[in-house]
Amino acid sequence: MWRYRAFKAVQSIVERLPRAWAYALAVFAARFAFWFSPLARPRLQFNLRVACPELDDRELRRLTWLNFRNHAKAYADLMMLPRTHVQAMRRLLTVQGLEHLEEARAIGKGVMVVSCHMGSYEIVSAIWAATLTPVSFFAEELEPRPLFEWYRETRARLGISVLTLSVKGIRKVTQALNDKEMVITAIDRDIIGTGHLMPFFGRPAPIPLGTAAIALRLGTPLLPACVYRLPDDTYMADAGPLVIAKSTGDRKADEIRVTQELLHHIEGFIRSHPDQWHVPHRIWDGSP
Amino acid sequence: MRVGLVSPYDFASPGGVNDHVRHLARQLRRLGHEARIFAPSSRADVDFDTARFYRIGSPIAIPVNDSVARITLSFHLADQVAAIVEKERFDVLHFHEPLMPALPMTMLKMSTTTNVGTFHAFARSNVGYYYGRRWLEPYLAYLHRGIAVSEPARAFLNQYFPDFPLRIIPNGIDVNAFKPGLSPIRHLRDDHINILFVGRLEKRKGLGDLLRAYEFMRGRVPKSRLIVVGDGPLRGRVESYISRRRLPNVVLAGYVPDSVLPRYYCSADVFCAPATGAESFGIVLLEAMATGLPVVATEVEGYMSVLEPGRDSMTVQPKGWAELGAALIILARDAELRRRMGGYGLEKAHRFGWDVVAAQIVEVYEEARMAATGRVEEINVHDAV
Repeated sequence: MWRYRAFKAVQSIVERLPRAWAYALAVFAARFAFWFSPLARPRLQFNLRVACPELDDRELRRLTWLNFRNHAKAYADLMMLPRTHVQAMRRLLTVQGLEHLEEARAIGKGVMVVSCHMGSYEIVSAIWAATLTPVSFFAEELEPRPLFEWYRETRARLGISVLTLSVKGIRKVTQALNDKEMVITAIDRDIIGTGHLMPFFGRPAPIPLGTAAIALRLGTPLLPACVYRLPDDTYMADAGPLVIAKSTGDRKADEIRVTQELLHHIEGFIRSHPDQWHVPHRIWDGSP
Repeated sequence: MRVGLVSPYDFASPGGVNDHVRHLARQLRRLGHEARIFAPSSRADVDFDTARFYRIGSPIAIPVNDSVARITLSFHLADQVAAIVEKERFDVLHFHEPLMPALPMTMLKMSTTTNVGTFHAFARSNVGYYYGRRWLEPYLAYLHRGIAVSEPARAFLNQYFPDFPLRIIPNGIDVNAFKPGLSPIRHLRDDHINILFVGRLEKRKGLGDLLRAYEFMRGRVPKSRLIVVGDGPLRGRVESYISRRRLPNVVLAGYVPDSVLPRYYCSADVFCAPATGAESFGIVLLEAMATGLPVVATEVEGYMSVLEPGRDSMTVQPKGWAELGAALIILARDAELRRRMGGYGLEKAHRFGWDVVAAQIVEVYEEARMAATGRVEEINVHDAV
């Protein structure tokens, strides 16, 4: 509970600050987190080393710092959401590959946007929810519960539903896709521990197959996409070509094949912007 | 016709009068007229076409009528307004709350065109009108036609200015935006009965009574949820009440943008409007009805001018939280009653569609223009004599 109270105290200050000040405070906090996080920094550094094996120690350390910095700014964005207006956010977003999104929507079976833990994805989701179609996040339930409730209601007021990784959640994802809506999920981390081992940056990692399973069952097009921050603190949403899940009769093999194809795109996004891919969790064996 | 719509309230803050102005401007454009809006604003982005919006003055918060009015009190608006009015050459200037300082009164006094005023407010009494009657009466004389949004709003003004004629034209509802079947906020749609409150968190909206009613109801309908949409000065007290009483399943959504609000209505089963008074109309009731929701409301005059208890709603005495809780329990337990009331309200809401309401307002513009021409001719004849 203290974590939630501390979060709320900081959040209620940050949401009242001008954007530039909020970022300045975020960068200051990132410096602390970078120096004093016992596990997050080594784990993130390990993950980045796997993703970018060409980097030497100095470069890797700098990349890890930039990663903390960008993530803190994304956190500041999140904290400012309760007082942010979609109208104001629209000026800050550029979209690359919008034609892929339109193509997916034209199919008429909803859209499953497959992403990774990168950037301020609430911003682009809120804009798409206000201008294109209702959006749902299919994501993990955070601890403590009040913090999760805050996340959920803050997103909801921007038109984003938050569906949890559970049987009920899957049912609602199905409903949303049947209603031709957009569901956004990330596949770069196996949260509930049911992932299938497959190569991720060339090393075996457990990756969830659920997204591919839903797409195969409903015929929903899969849109690989990521959101990242530009140097002027505006945002870029980058969508890749659609992945269409086609059944060959072997359910498991199809799920693996489709997930691998998605993962290929996700690896591309991460390689392009490793300073924004923030997963300070254990993905591969050998991680601290 | 070129129409200038004048609002005294901060256009960047949500509120019934500004919503009315915004929708009317859009509807007038649809009908082929040119509309511009004049209002003070605390922010540059006001969710309206900036080319058609004139930001005049900076608003300050003033406590009025158990609420807070964000209006401009600047005495230096005249030059700016004169230049714009000269440039735009309006056929009609439509003042919302024309007796509200400073923007509407300044513009009204300077106007050389046809003036129409709409009165939105309702209260039991008004000290300003009582003591300022003699000073305000000349401003009313500038208006060629007057509109009140409801019978209580008309009675309120006529209490102080009995000779001023007013035509009642209700607030409108955008039936294309508020309709059943929109995508709900999915995590709020489960096996719980969702009770929705929409309004500023301030004393007169009666959220305190609703929280007590919800607490009373929770014991009898455990699978219920209260969704509170809106923000305001009482937010801290509401949060502390919820945490002190350990009220589960209360969602404080805060301010919700217009594009998302209809989805909250579509996520609810019952709409509750527990205001304690001083409501002249209740646009939220129309929004609820337009999305097919049954309403539980208090018997305040403004609400009663819209509701038909027993058909589209259940009504209770203001501040009667136990009665309010009982009404919520009845509706929560009776899906058929909810469906019937919601269906009736849905049909009724279409009578308040903006196309219907704007057509009536345009009629008033035409009447006012004729009256204005008549007045000018009268003055010319008089001068000639």
